[in-house]
Amino acid sequence: MADQNKTESANNFYNEILSPCELFAARSRSHKLPARGQKDFYPDDSEEQRQRLQQSLDEHWRLISEERVERLGNLVKGVWIPSERIVELQSPAGKFWQTMGFSAEGKQYLLPEEALYLMECGNLLVSHQDLPLSIQDGYEMFLSADAVSLQQYQVFGHLKRLGYVVHRFDPSSEPSSYARQLNLPPSRERGGRQLKRKRSPSPTPTCSKGESPAEKMEEDDKLPESHLPTSAEPPEPQSCSSGSAAEAGARTWWMTDVPDRQADKRPSPGSPSARSRWNFSAIPFPDLGSTGRPRSVAPPHPSLLPGGVTVGVCDVASWMRKVNLREVRMSRKEEERERRRRRRDVNKDREVQRCRNWAEYHELLARRQAAREGRPAHLWSGEVTPLHDPTQPISTAELLEKISVITSTNLLEGASRLKGSEEWRICFNVYQPDSVADFKKSNPGKPYTRMCVCSFDGPVPDLRAIKQLAFQSGDVLVVFAVVDHGDISFYTFKDFQLPRDVYP
Amino acid sequence: MEAPPCRQLGELQPEQERSSSAVVGLSLCDSAPLLWRIQDLKTVRSSGLVGALLGALPRTPRQNIRLGRPLLLLPEEERLLRERHSAAALPARNQDAVGTELQQRYEEEEQRSYEEQSILALEDRRSALLRAMTSSSGSECGAGSDEALQGRLLALGQNFTFPRSALAVQLSTARAGLSHCQEARAFLQADWPIREQDSPRREARYQVFRDLRGRGFFLTSAGKFGGDFLVYPGDPLRFHAHFIAVCLTLDESICMLDVLCVARLGSNVKKTVLLCSPAPDGPVHYTSLQWSGMV
Repeated sequence: MADQNKTESANNFYNEILSPCELFAARSRSHKLPARGQKDFYPDDSEEQRQRLQQSLDEHWRLISEERVERLGNLVKGVWIPSERIVELQSPAGKFWQTMGFSAEGKQYLLPEEALYLMECGNLLVSHQDLPLSIQDGYEMFLSADAVSLQQYQVFGHLKRLGYVVHRFDPSSEPSSYARQLNLPPSRERGGRQLKRKRSPSPTPTCSKGESPAEKMEEDDKLPESHLPTSAEPPEPQSCSSGSAAEAGARTWWMTDVPDRQADKRPSPGSPSARSRWNFSAIPFPDLGSTGRPRSVAPPHPSLLPGGVTVGVCDVASWMRKVNLREVRMSRKEEERERRRRRRDVNKDREVQRCRNWAEYHELLARRQAAREGRPAHLWSGEVTPLHDPTQPISTAELLEKISVITSTNLLEGASRLKGSEEWRICFNVYQPDSVADFKKSNPGKPYTRMCVCSFDGPVPDLRAIKQLAFQSGDVLVVFAVVDHGDISFYTFKDFQLPRDVYP
Repeated sequence: MEAPPCRQLGELQPEQERSSSAVVGLSLCDSAPLLWRIQDLKTVRSSGLVGALLGALPRTPRQNIRLGRPLLLLPEEERLLRERHSAAALPARNQDAVGTELQQRYEEEEQRSYEEQSILALEDRRSALLRAMTSSSGSECGAGSDEALQGRLLALGQNFTFPRSALAVQLSTARAGLSHCQEARAFLQADWPIREQDSPRREARYQVFRDLRGRGFFLTSAGKFGGDFLVYPGDPLRFHAHFIAVCLTLDESICMLDVLCVARLGSNVKKTVLLCSPAPDGPVHYTSLQWSGMV
């Protein structure tokens, strides 16, 4: 055995496999990083410098060539599934499960970037085709431009090593601004969307405590479907709201993935849109004011109605009679104002029409001028007039508005009209490291910041990209992580208000 | 029992020639050239190319100050290696060759390692016991204590078990060993996919890189400093950078504000800014900027 080791090291120039003896001895390795000393200023070909350089280099190679050695019992085992691009865990997950991974169909899974990070930390052993993967295999198989790129993984690893919790950003799980205004309950746990998740009869996360009575209610509702079971409605949300985690439970009836009445148990939605989100553009609202003057309105889609309610065609003839469709007549004063607001055509002015010659016209003008007393005529008669008439009352703020050349705007102005671009997209949600203790994967809360990964070789984000990303992110700051061959710099743009000593 | 040793041309030559004629194996990850094997990193460093380490350091994986393998090469470094014919493409993980044979070999290896480690663990325990007993007995000597010692050692040998979960296992960094097959001797010209479009800017960068490297400087990327390269007089492990090199083509015009920006930056970080432009006929022109006060 011993001489085989010797020949190995002599011949296997490129073999970095450790012998069992070395593996055993690795238990007593130091876990400290050597401190780096002072650098020199200029090379002067002295022996001393050469020695110090050699020392530094030797120490460097010693550190870099050290291989990861772990006890088999400390390693979590996993299997790489190339078709789904995830890692399935074969032994129970360790402490990292609190912030990483997701479960589906009773098994535990890890996303490729999470698995690669854990492999680099020496916590996970991933096999493929019954052979363990090296770190190099992991990099080459898990990272690609269409899934997680090398640059994105660099940022991911950097942040994870600092202690942050980093999750993938899913734009569809972020509520739209309208939904935020309505204060809809938050959506469900992440990660389950990657797999076509079959909904087992077990309770869904949104209404955990009030689930069983709700399910029973649902079963009852199927029978008296013909008449409106309005009595069954109120108890259902109430029972759901009994639980603490049921702020969403009371409102399950409006979820788009309401179970099918016909099925016996909760169906498996083949469509991946098991989302609790409204698609407002797909819900038609009847237009009763149009010239068509419809006589009746079709009933809305049953999924929009509370459980058990069936609605027939609605006859709107009586309502239409009550709608006041007469033209509003303006009062005398309003008419005058309207007329004045419209562009003044001199020829249409009645007083001007009464003038028979130029002299009379000049008199008219002078009269009008005098009417506006207090203003020097030479200033107000020309094309360029003062911004404000001093006899008119105005607040300081409005006056400042008038004299300002640059109007201030905020980042989100006009952002809702922008369409997303392929080039710039948010990659990760980042959560604070000190919240790890009470972090819940199913309800992570608002992230500390969101990351957009780019490189120094690429273009600088223009205002359009910044606006669009800020809008997509909502009220969470977007940070640009710029990768430069191993170095990562973080940049962000913040809204800033210039101070104004004005109290309007 | 191990995978057949990978013989390289460089191996058979004497040590001093190894650094100049050895060929390193590059592997692509998401179209970035990476070096994984420790010998390749040493070879590349000995020819003056620094690169950037990207991975977690095995000893302390949860910090960002010192990173470990892989080594990412600058596009200029990769091109330099390619032109010197000192780099070859490593084949990807061979999916077909993986069969029951390799898996069997792996299991046998693990079993052998387990047996060896059990013996070593027992030896370790024995010597620990010996040390403990001899230190506690002190000046006592005689047949009585010897017998007790022998008895305890015997008991240890009989009751000792080395659980499978205590087996030390290696998580390889580079793809070497059983799943690694013989290298294809493919040189980069033939195999390496041309990934970057040549633009005048890139060409200028490469010319400057080659010239400065030829003069003995070490160069790394300088995006954070607003330039193209950081120029070190010696190995970056031992020396600070002296210059920030900004590469421009001779016919490119830059506005005064950009010059001011980069000069200011340079003076703030105490480095001299070098504006570098390669002439079409060969030599590279260098202009240094230094911030001087009002005279």
